[in-house]
Formats: sequence, structure tokens, C-alpha cells
Amino acid sequence: MENGRDILSVQNLNKSYEAFKLRDVSFTLKAGTIMGFIGRNGAGKTTTLKAMVNLVHADSGSVQYFGMDLQTREAEIKQRISFAFGGVDYYLQKKLGTITGVYKRFYDQWDEKAYENYLKMFALDPNKKIKELSQGMQVKYSLALALSHYAEILILDEPTSGLDPVSRDEILTIFEDVVDGNQASILFSTHITSDLDKCADDITYIKNGAILFSEDRDSFVDSYRLVEGPLDRLTEELKSVIMGFHQRRGEFSGMINTRDLKMAPGIKCSPADLEAIMVHMERKA
Amino acid sequence: MKDLIYKEFKLAIHPTCYLFLLMGFMLLIPNYPYYVAFFYQTLGIFFIFVGGQANNDVYFTTLLPIPKRAAVKARFGIIVIIELAQIVVSIPFAVLRNSLNPAANQAGMEANAALFGLVFIMFAIFNLIFLTMFYKTAFKLGLPYVFACGAMAIFVGAAEAVIQLTPALKIALDTLDPSYLPQQLAVLIFGMVVFTLVTVLAYLRSAARFEKIDL
Repeated sequence: MENGRDILSVQNLNKSYEAFKLRDVSFTLKAGTIMGFIGRNGAGKTTTLKAMVNLVHADSGSVQYFGMDLQTREAEIKQRISFAFGGVDYYLQKKLGTITGVYKRFYDQWDEKAYENYLKMFALDPNKKIKELSQGMQVKYSLALALSHYAEILILDEPTSGLDPVSRDEILTIFEDVVDGNQASILFSTHITSDLDKCADDITYIKNGAILFSEDRDSFVDSYRLVEGPLDRLTEELKSVIMGFHQRRGEFSGMINTRDLKMAPGIKCSPADLEAIMVHMERKA
Repeated sequence: MKDLIYKEFKLAIHPTCYLFLLMGFMLLIPNYPYYVAFFYQTLGIFFIFVGGQANNDVYFTTLLPIPKRAAVKARFGIIVIIELAQIVVSIPFAVLRNSLNPAANQAGMEANAALFGLVFIMFAIFNLIFLTMFYKTAFKLGLPYVFACGAMAIFVGAAEAVIQLTPALKIALDTLDPSYLPQQLAVLIFGMVVFTLVTVLAYLRSAARFEKIDL
């Protein structure tokens, strides 16, 4: 797969529930990249991901993988992608070997040798039951399954939530190796911004069911600045462009778009990180 | 489909299904409502779905590279296999009971061909109600099972009442007399036809419902 080419394209997905709406969700994933799909709990991450594999039926919009439409070529597409909720949350009482024995029958490209290598690499014992695996090991097992049938896109819903920092780092390093070794591209959702600091090339940010941004991480981070200063230096003009405005004891703080920097002469400005951006975006005025 | 049926046997089937197959031995009881021996297996099938719920079977299966309705077809496949196995396993017990003890069953139908025909219809009712109701949500199990059991009980009660209270039917169907075998085989064949048609209809409705729901 030639790197940089769009291999997944989500266009104008809409889905209405009684209390929640997915609104015109669009983004694209490029080959050879890791995209972090970020948003707070309930923002619509899982619904979007489910709609991308037909677990949820969108009211309108389209999803294309490798230029093929999901609605008409679902089985073919699923041969070439992998989707997992967290790690492995099914058949917890069964042994890895039993599940693999069933799973592999469905994939034309299954490579037993590669699978055995991944088991060794990830120190997975096929005689263990799924429930005996730690959460991090479950994620590894799900990656071993996906990579052994040469899935070209891995879609993972919150693979790092609930992992300790060391396991999280380990999983993210595996993600980097997978992408750098040209094995697959990865789209994973998370609300842990440090995951993205570490390994994401691109970021898609969803808020209240709508995509706020989908762009490369560095320019995304660079487009915001944190501002702080005494309230008496705050102009009306500046206040109108501040996101996540906060004031206390005569001081104010918040975040502005980098293009608005000219409105903050003499105000202390500093680079924002992803966590700060997320917090300021979501903070209620 | 072969692979999906394999998956059903390897991952989904509940061990009690094998255990309940042995309930065929209840046909050895001299006086007993023999439908009960078959009814147990619907509980085994119910347990497959309870297990499926606990094990997130629906996600495991629908994320495989298969059309969504194939998951429903495979589940119907294994249920039909279990139901047929239940009937097949019971036959030797029926033969044994009738040769060991030819006295009439005081508690209902004799273990004859007509009984098996009625059991086919009972399973057809179970498949229609339990499975089509379940696939409306692919989650809620309790009510579909209660309704299915209720409908099976009404059917069995009505069938017994009609046969016991209609002399012509009682003479021809509730007997081990081989001279009435043609009438009993007619009931058996009728039951098999009903089972096939109703189960196919139940599959079509279940698959259509399952394809529509959001998981």
C-alpha cells in the first residue's frame, strides 16, 4: 500500500438517536499513518467507529475502504481490516488457541507462521484463557489476530483505556512498529491525550457528535496558544476570541487560536499541548 | 457457512445441550407426557443465547468477514441440528419403551410416529416465537422465551385435548397398534413440513430484523 494515499474515507455520516446526534462526520485516513480519534466520553467516538463497520446503521453518509463502498462490499472489506473494542471482550472463558482456531478459518490471507511469531513476540500463551490475560495482553492478542490476516487498517476503540502507563507505552510502541513496518495503518479512539502526543500522525477531534478538526497533529497543536494575564489587561476583543475562559483573583486564563495572537499584545502566550487544547475546547464558559 | 457452523459448535453451543439430548430416556417412563423430554432442549437452546450474551458473541460474529444475515443463518443451523438430534436420540428410547412395556401411556400420547410429528410442530412454534422475537433486539431473551414456552404449552395442551376428546383421533393416533401407522406417519410428515416451512419463515424474519438493528 503506497503511503500517503487515502485508504479510508468517511463522508457526511449522520445518525440520530433520541438524545444524541452524529452530524456530518467526515475524515480520511492515509496509508502508513496513525490517527487518533479523540473526544470526551459520549462525544460520539464509539458510534462513529461502529457505523464504520456497519454495527450501527448511519441515517446517511458513506464509508469507503480502499475505494470500495462499505454497503456493497462489506465482507471483502472486512477481510482487509480489523476492528476491536478495547482488547478482546468476547468468549473470556475460552482459550486463545480455541478462538484463533475459529477466527482463522474466516480469513483468506491467514498466515499461521506469522501468527506464531506474534504469539512469541507478545509472549502470549495459546493455552491461556482470555480472562487470564491482563488488559494489555488482550490488546496484544487482538493485534496478533489482526496482523496475522494482514489487516491493512486496524480500527481500535479505546485500546489504551484502563491500561497502566507502562503497558500503554508498550502498546503505543507496537502501534508505531506496525505502521513503520508498513504492516497496517491505525485509527484508534482515546480520551487520553498523552497517547496522541506519543504516536499520532493525525488527529480527528469529535465534540457533541460533530468533527471539530481532522488534521495532522503538529499543525493542530500549533494552531492554539494558551494565554494568561491580569484582568485589567484583558480587552473585549481578546475576550471574545478566548476559548475556555477562566478568571480567578484578578487573573484570567484561556486559549486562543494562533491567528488571533495579534489581539493579545503584551499578554503572556505559551504553546498548548493536546490536553490543554481538549480541556479548553470542552470547558463551559 | 461451514466455518460459521464450526464456530457455533466450538464457541457458542452450551454443554447442557448435550446433556439434554439424554432426556430422550424419559420416553422409557411408562406414564408420562412425553413432550417434556423434548421441551428440555429448548432450555438448552435458551442457554446458548444466554452464553452468547455473556460472551459478546454478537460482536465476535458480526465483525468476521461475513454478511450479517449469515450469523443468523448459522445460529438457526445449529438449533435445527440440535432439535433434529433430540428427536433422533429419542427414537431408540421410544422403540425400547414400546417393546419393553406395551401398556398404554396414561399421561398422554403414546411414543409413536404421531407424537414425533407433534414434537416437530412444537419445535416449529418455538423457533418462530423465540427466535424472531429475540432477533428484534439481539439482546432481550427472557420475554421471547416466556412467550415461546407459553405458545408451546398451549399447542401441546390443545393437541392433547383434541386427540383425547375426539374418539376417531384417539383411536388412530394415541395407539401403538401398527394398523394405524399410515395415519400416524401422515401426522409425522405434516409435522416435518410445518417445521421446515415455519423455521424458514422464522429465519427470513429474524435475518431481516437483525440486519436492521444497531448493535
